[in-house]
Parts: sequence; C-alpha cells; structure tokens
Amino acid sequence: MQSAYKVFAYLIAALVVLQAMMIAFAIAGLGVWVDKDGGVLDKASMESDLEFTGVLGFAIHGMNGMMLIPAVALIFLIISFFAKVPGGVVWAAVTLLLVVVQITLGLLGHENPYFGMIHGLNALILFSVAVMAGKRVSTATTAASASATTHAAA
Amino acid sequence: MKRRWGLVVACLATAAILAPLGWLWWNSLIPAQYSVTEMGYADYGGGPTASDMAGMHHDAVSIDTLTVGTDRPADVEYELTARQERFTLASGRSVDGYTLNGESPGPVIRATQGDLVEVTVTNDSVPDGITLHWHGVDMPNAMDGVAGVTQDAVMEGESFTYRFLADQVGTYWYHSHQVSHEQVIGGLFGTLVVDPPPGGSSTTAADVDKVAVVHIYGGVRTVNGEEGDVPVEAQPGDLVRVRVVNTDNGPMSVWTSGAPYRVVAVDGYDLNEPDPVAGQATTVTAGGRADLEVEVPASGVRIELGGNAALLIGPGAEAVPATEAPREFVDFLTYGASQPLPFDPADADRHFEYNVDRRPGFLDGRPGLWWTINGHLYPDVPMFTVAEGDIVVMRISNTSGDVHPMHLHGHHAVVLSRDGEDATGSPWWVDSLNVLDGETYEIAFLADNPGVWLDHCHNLPHAKQGLLAHLMYEGFTTPFVMGGEAHNEPE
Repeated sequence: MQSAYKVFAYLIAALVVLQAMMIAFAIAGLGVWVDKDGGVLDKASMESDLEFTGVLGFAIHGMNGMMLIPAVALIFLIISFFAKVPGGVVWAAVTLLLVVVQITLGLLGHENPYFGMIHGLNALILFSVAVMAGKRVSTATTAASASATTHAAA
Repeated sequence: MKRRWGLVVACLATAAILAPLGWLWWNSLIPAQYSVTEMGYADYGGGPTASDMAGMHHDAVSIDTLTVGTDRPADVEYELTARQERFTLASGRSVDGYTLNGESPGPVIRATQGDLVEVTVTNDSVPDGITLHWHGVDMPNAMDGVAGVTQDAVMEGESFTYRFLADQVGTYWYHSHQVSHEQVIGGLFGTLVVDPPPGGSSTTAADVDKVAVVHIYGGVRTVNGEEGDVPVEAQPGDLVRVRVVNTDNGPMSVWTSGAPYRVVAVDGYDLNEPDPVAGQATTVTAGGRADLEVEVPASGVRIELGGNAALLIGPGAEAVPATEAPREFVDFLTYGASQPLPFDPADADRHFEYNVDRRPGFLDGRPGLWWTINGHLYPDVPMFTVAEGDIVVMRISNTSGDVHPMHLHGHHAVVLSRDGEDATGSPWWVDSLNVLDGETYEIAFLADNPGVWLDHCHNLPHAKQGLLAHLMYEGFTTPFVMGGEAHNEPE
C-alpha cells in the first residue's frame, strides 16, 4: 500500500505537469491559428469544433482537470487510509483540497482572469505538495528501518 | 489488535467517502427508456394544478393527432434526402458531416404566407437516425420534429413527411433534432423563408432578398457555404434585405461597413419602426435570426458576419474597407417604437422561474460540473405545465458563468424586461433569446399551441449536458419515448 501511495502521489504531480503542457500547447496553437491562418475567435467559434494544431490541448486540459485528476486524488486519499504513511492521510487530504481549489479557480478564471493567474500559482503548490507526499514514503520507510535498527541495537 | 482497529477505521473512512458518491451516482442513472411527461416534477407556476383541472377533461389527447390534416393538398412540396458523408462546401472545402440533397447548408425552402408546406425527408445513410425540427415555426406539435417527444427518429431507409401551414412571414430554419449536438454542427440544416403574399403586406418590399445562413465548419466560418468575402449583386439605391441565420452554438455579431443598417425583423417577427444603426453590432444568438436592411450606397456596402465572413453588396463593394467589430450592441429592449401587445402580461395565469446555474454532480452516471435548472440536474427538472389559453410569464435568469441561447419550441415570447428594466421599444418577439451570465429576462407568451414542447439551451452540447426542460399542456400526452427501440436522442 505504501508503494501505491507513492505511485498515486507522483501520478498527480505528473498529471499537473501534463496540464501545464496542454494549456500552453493550446494557447500557442490558438495564437498561430489567429496569426498565420486568419482564424477569428468569437463565442460562436469557441463553441464550434475548432481545428488547429494544439486545439486538443483545451479538451485534454478540461477532461484531465475536471475528471481524471479529481478521481485520482480521491483514490489517493482512500489509499492513504490503508497505507500507514506517517502523516499520509493529512498530505493526501491537502492534495485533494488543493485539487478542489484548483478546479474552482479554473472555473472562476472564466469570469475573472485574475483567478486564472492564481490557478497557475496553485498548480505549482499542488505539484509540490504531491511530490512531497510521495517523498514521505521513502522518508517513512527510512525512518521506520532506522528506528528498527535502533531498537535492535538497544 | 491496534492494527485491526486501524483497518476498521480505514474501511469506515473509505465507506464514508464512497457511499454518498455511489448513492448520487446510482440516483443519477437515466432509464434506457422514459417519457418526458414522466420526468422531473410538474411546475404549475402558481396556476391550477392537475388535480384542480381533473374534472375539466377526459383522457389525455395524444399529440400525434395534432396535425394540419391530410385533406388539403400541399402548395409547396420538397423532397429531401439526408446523408452522412464527406462533401464539398460551396467554397470548395471538403468536410465530413451531413448533407440534405447532397449539400450543406440544405436547400432554402421558400413559401408564401398561407401556403401548406409539405416536406418529405428520407434518411439515406445517417446511422443514428434523423428528424427535421422547424426552428421558430409555431406549427402543430406532431410536426415539431423532436425525436422522442413528437416523433421517432427516422432511421436509415425510412421517410417522414412534415406538413404545416406557413402562416408566419419571416426567416426560419430547419435542422435535425436527433443527436442534434453532432448533426447540426455537422451540417444537417437549411433555411425556411416565408414571404408575404404579393402586394398585400406592410413589410417594405426589398429589391434584393438574400439569405445568409452562417455556419462554422471545422473552425471555418461560412455564409451559404462560401468563405471570406462573398459578392452579392445589387445596384446603388437598392434596398437589400439580408436574412442572417446563426446555426452555430454561440452568439455572433453582425454589423455593416460603408452604410448604416436597420434590423427589420428578429426571429421571423417584424420590428416596429426600426431605427437606422451605425457603429453598433447586432447580436444574433445561436439558433436566432436577424433580418438586416441596407440601402446600397454608390460605393457599395459590406455586411460583416462575425469578422471573418462578409457579404459584399453592390458594385465596388470590394473597395469598402472592413470595419472592426463594434463593442456596442443594438439593444432590442429600446430599439424601434412600442406597440400594444395582443395580450396583457399583467393578467398572467402562470409565472414560471427558469434559473440556469451549474454544480458538480452526476449526470446519467457521469461525474462533472453540470447545468442545473432551478437547482436541479437533468432529468429531475421542472415540467412547465400550462393549460391552453393561459397567459404565461417566465423569468429566465442565468447565474451559470456562461451565455445560454434559450429556445422555446412552438411559441414566440415577447420580452418584457431585462434585469428589471422594462422593454420600451418595438415588441421584441423571440424564439431564441441570448441570456448572458448574470442576466435576468422576463418574457411572456400565450399558451395557444397545445402539445409537449422543448424549452432548452440552443448551445446544443449544453442541451446534451442536461440544459433541457419542456412545456407541457394539461390534457395532452405523447406516445413517444426517449431512448427505447427507436433510439431517440433529441439532444
């Protein structure tokens, strides 16, 4: 279960990296489409099936962020109940909370761009917390074996 | 022992998370077959309830009896064949999608007021099945063309004949209402124009009458299937009427370069004493129509359709510089001159609320952030129940964070107010209303067309995501079901 905890923690971190890559890919593609292909973006075209290199980034960012990452974070929390990683439940709960905050900020960004700015910051916080949670497994294992050694010595 | 208790706590915590989620998931599942008349909950809008009216009618009347009858011969007949295929637009671009008689947009159907129109559509090769919905035409319910509500989807090899009286002059359109979020975006639609009888109308006769059906195929905006600047033949001094149809899923802006314009009709209804407009754009919502009129100056004029397609009218129009999209918009709340309404909304029999919002939850088992109607997720949505002859006021509010083009089938509603500001201009009749995030509209209509009528968002993927309710007439029922053997899937 400890290795599952570790895998899920790093999986969330990796998915956050993918999110950053996808949205940058999409925005860059949109820029090229408008600049070089004469594309015009208005509400009607936003709601249509746009076709340009990078447009898939928007769909992946949306589905990954709204469905996959919250599902993985929820499973991560459940794993933490069984994994016996010291402080593991708290780290998993904080990760899930940051995911919820991240989704909320992403949605609010559609109404006020400054929320989008914080969305970018929170992504890095979420990434860091997920990595640190994953690192606790090796720390915990080391600490546990260290303590076992001490006991044995005593 | 401690270890065992730890496991119990872990299991309980897991159950505490999964049980409510599982319960919500289970409850959201939609049966494989259901009738719209049995979904959600009845909302009587403060009027008499079903039990109040129980003594007033006998058995419910089936809506498939609501037709124009077969005794009268048709004045206008069309045969349409629907196919799913790769085809070439008028512009020469090849796209994958849907055609009617080999083309998209489908043929312009033209009738004269009073004509009986008969359109037979055959599904040649659309595996999901098709229908034709006559958007904006307040016709008998059985001809409304909604799979699972007013008919079964027309499967491959099958045909269906639509018969209706073209009694409203104006610009309308028709499109599939089976798997519409794919078929309409893919091109299964066309325009319907009902002209006034020759000589006998108050509408000023235009010298040139041009349909401009706008659609985005694969991110490319087209007008009548053409791209970019599309020339229209007209002489200086000519009065040109341009019938703009927005067949996309979001609102678009229309404006002119080189001459002012008037908006002479919205959603098929003429506006009273329309003022000349310059420096303002007209918003045409998804599914909506606007008829613009321009007098062609000696140097020509451009009708800008969203900024990447335009009609170039008159000789020399290619020299007219394109103008940027205005940030100011024609406000139909104050546009034109007021006129008395055919009914008094102050005497309304029913007042409905239609609030659009969204929240996280499950829609047919799928987790996500879904649209709600009055706080409820589909299919637990209100069934707006009326009796024939009722005057109905509906307050549509949007707190969902996105714009919604709200479309009521079978009726035209008049806008009474927006955000508490009363309408003072020409009566503004709509079948498709652009409701921005944060806005509240009050509209009124006369319940004079019995049946079961969808009342939904015309951003068709939104309808697919549950932003779909319906208007239900007391004493009427439908024999058709969603899903089922006919695979009816109207959204």
